[in-house]
Amino acid sequence: MTDQPSITVCDATLRDGSHAYSHQITLEQVTAYATAAEAAGFSFLEVGHGNGLGASSLQVGESLVPEGEMLSAAKKCLRRTKLSVHVIPGFATIKREIVNALEAGVDLFRVGCHCTEADITQRHIGYVRSAGHETWGVLMMSHMAPKEVLLEEAKKLQSYGAQGVVLMDSAGAYFPQEVTAKIGLLASRLDVPVGFHAHDNLGLSIANSLAALEAGARIIDGTAKGFGAGAGNAPLELLAAVLRQRGYPCSVDLYRALDAAEVAARLFAGSLPESTGITIVSGLAGVFSGFSKPVQRAAAQLGVDPRDVLVELGRRKVVGGQEDIILEVAAELARGSNLSAPNP
Amino acid sequence: MNRAITLVRADAEAVLEGRNGQLEALRGQHLFISGGTGFLGAWLLELAAVLNERHGFGLTVTVFSRNARAFAQRWPHLGGLEWITFQDGDIRYLSELPRETRYIIHAAALTDRRLFASQPSAVAETNGLGTLRLLRAANLLEDLKNVVLMSSCLVYGQQPWETAQINESFAGPLRSNDVNAVYAESKRFAEMIAQCAISESKLPVVTVRPFAFVGPYQSLELPWAVTDFIRDSLAGGPIRIMGDGATVRSIMYGSDFAFGVLSALAVGKPRETYNLGSPEAIDLGSLARMITQFFSPVPEIRTRVGQVGHDRNRLVPAIDRAAADLGLKVTVPLPEALQRTIAWNRFIQNK
Amino acid sequence: MTPPTERLPVAILGTGNIGTDLLLKVLRSPVLDCRLFAGRNLASPGMSKASHLNVPVSAKGIDSIQELKGEIALVFDATSAPDHLKHAPVFEQMGVVAVDLTPAKVGRMCVPAVNLDECLGLPNVNMVTCGGQAAIPLAWAIAQANAQVEYVETVSSIASRSAGPATRINLDEYLDTTEMGLQLFAGCPRTKAILNLNPAQPCIHMQTTIMAKITHPDLLRTREKVAAMVAMIKKYVPGYQLILPPMIEGGRMVMMVRVDGLGDYLPKYAGNLDIINCAAIAFAEACAHRRNS
Repeated sequence: MTDQPSITVCDATLRDGSHAYSHQITLEQVTAYATAAEAAGFSFLEVGHGNGLGASSLQVGESLVPEGEMLSAAKKCLRRTKLSVHVIPGFATIKREIVNALEAGVDLFRVGCHCTEADITQRHIGYVRSAGHETWGVLMMSHMAPKEVLLEEAKKLQSYGAQGVVLMDSAGAYFPQEVTAKIGLLASRLDVPVGFHAHDNLGLSIANSLAALEAGARIIDGTAKGFGAGAGNAPLELLAAVLRQRGYPCSVDLYRALDAAEVAARLFAGSLPESTGITIVSGLAGVFSGFSKPVQRAAAQLGVDPRDVLVELGRRKVVGGQEDIILEVAAELARGSNLSAPNP
Repeated sequence: MNRAITLVRADAEAVLEGRNGQLEALRGQHLFISGGTGFLGAWLLELAAVLNERHGFGLTVTVFSRNARAFAQRWPHLGGLEWITFQDGDIRYLSELPRETRYIIHAAALTDRRLFASQPSAVAETNGLGTLRLLRAANLLEDLKNVVLMSSCLVYGQQPWETAQINESFAGPLRSNDVNAVYAESKRFAEMIAQCAISESKLPVVTVRPFAFVGPYQSLELPWAVTDFIRDSLAGGPIRIMGDGATVRSIMYGSDFAFGVLSALAVGKPRETYNLGSPEAIDLGSLARMITQFFSPVPEIRTRVGQVGHDRNRLVPAIDRAAADLGLKVTVPLPEALQRTIAWNRFIQNK
Repeated sequence: MTPPTERLPVAILGTGNIGTDLLLKVLRSPVLDCRLFAGRNLASPGMSKASHLNVPVSAKGIDSIQELKGEIALVFDATSAPDHLKHAPVFEQMGVVAVDLTPAKVGRMCVPAVNLDECLGLPNVNMVTCGGQAAIPLAWAIAQANAQVEYVETVSSIASRSAGPATRINLDEYLDTTEMGLQLFAGCPRTKAILNLNPAQPCIHMQTTIMAKITHPDLLRTREKVAAMVAMIKKYVPGYQLILPPMIEGGRMVMMVRVDGLGDYLPKYAGNLDIINCAAIAFAEACAHRRNS
């Protein structure tokens, strides 16, 4: 028998899924799903707006339920499974969002940034560490930087006190070889465990997740039925099955994980992710998965092809959080003017 | 003088023959060369002249050094070119770069061994802080494409005798409490400063570690073996080798050197480090014999002129990485390199 | 023949990139006269530049400013918030007008297009933040044009290279200050600021989006007020452009501006840094004109 370390499985259904539900997840849905997640034995349950703490906004969509209430409701359902949140400096502040989340009983703070900007997380990670809680660093849109840059940024996160580093495939753009190279490098050179968060825009979320595990990742993200932005995430029920089949030890109970997927299917019926022309082009263009819905809306309003909007957004190398640029691009396309790069 | 100019021009054209496509990224661009008035600087300008005159590259260049204008006067065929701006200045006090600069070669450094001995602090300051000043100024540019940092093979410390060729991942021991290591340490510090700029501001910097070279424009007063041997031969000999002649070097011609640097600028991968030099090893005894065959009568070679037990050491690069990424290769074999260097020096001496 | 307008004697404290860019703007102004460029590091590139331009420099920082008591009328403080807190009482004691380009917020927030006149005569004014200078005038215009503005939000995207270590370590303060400014000027209790850093090369120019939730939005009137405001801002920030005129999308009022920097010392893509400097200059020039009339 191998003495492989246990794999930490992070359930982001109630956070990434927020993108798929226009951030209108209700307290009832939180309670129902969190109960199922606890039973399934996932290591962490991540709850909140798709863009993390304090992201309820006109920019990326307003949440139906205030995040404090969502967090408290989830916390009540959890015993062994721990509660985590996603935090992006630039959206969230320490004084408001992190302090309140600590009060609500959050166990793990996953502090994220665009994959080349780790130094904006220094204070937030430091604050959580001084408050005695666990915190990881998250590098978003990580397909946009070469592995050496990712390692450099990950080392910064580690030096700030991050106790884990997760590479996100926010655009669903990775192929397995790239996962192997990037996760492999980080896993071999960092002290802290490394994780991968897949999206399914190109149908590769499970393959990529497996490649990550084989390259040394000890943290893996997924959502029930892939309920998440764009074409969704790596489906947790499939991950649980794959982990079991390949002999990776983890705390997840396979049948309960399958049950949790059924709960999610019922709760979020009609909003489960699917692969569409938009999500495919989004993945190819390397655009943040969460842009799919606002792109669709803006394109419809301005009478342009959403796929053209995505291609242009990709060409401009737009990062997560820049949803306002969608309108500018759609408006330019509608005007039929020559698309120029952002600076003349 | 004319024959000297013609010789170098022919070399510059030859090294670029069929290979200027590699440098396409530089077409129409403004190059800022710090310290561009030494051996490398002169060759870079010669190649730039060919790129402009033969291949219509439309390059403009700013040469920044402490004796830029003096250089322009010394070599009027370069100094008179209207697309070169010669700017006098000290790299330690550089505050701004020309706005349109997109490409930078940072070669400004104190490299005179006599200064290492008598003004080591100035060496540390110029080579280290000079790099810091340059990169800070580079951070204010609109659209910086690439910076080449001219480091030194001496950052490796001592190459182990058993290692035939040293590659870029080698790191020798530090001798930070020995003033004799000031040059090597200052170059290591410069490399570190570049890494800081890369990490903080994502500046595109390519680090180049040059080995040993020979060619026109190289002062024969420099205390390198090859220049010593040539100078002594021109003076009628004898060539004096301190040890038994077993020390191993490799020597690249100036045109291949300059092409390698321009290539690093045009297609070098930012964050990467490249050895730059010839991979063909030669021991000093053989080098001396090779040089003397260009003289008649053949000058005498004396060995073991120094203290008994004089170190034998090796300094030879593996250039696989530069060959792959930059197309670096030796196009001028060593005997020809030596012959042309000697010819050029004779032309210059005869005026 | 009318006598030439007397130039207002000013000093700049802080010789980093922002202070140096400010210096070039002061030198270009027909009504400002830079008597001193002061900081702590004589070796800084800014000091070098000032010297070359024959501007008196000093490495004695605030002490050298104090020595000019009675000779200068206004000081630009481009140091840091903690430092400005120490400097502010000194400026007050000297009787000079302090223009605070840090997030210290000792004095009234000044956004020239909106409240320039109110600020003239005050001993200390604060230039808010870059996103604040870009968004606040439009938030104010929205409030002028619409009766019930429930909520105002601004998102700025800036080039990673234009955000130095000081900006990055003080992101939270930037968001707080910007939100405070929005609340003050738009008269709206609920506001939010968001900042995105984008590392794309070539560097992106600063882009700011202003969004509002309005019960009964008057789009036509909003467009008029916004157009008028943009025209006013362009007078002191020539690179300020409305790239998406007010529109209603997804139940929110949206508009977008882009700021191309002047490129005096800072690169053109750093419009975010340029707009604060332009605003500070606009205020100082107004002080000069006021003194002369």
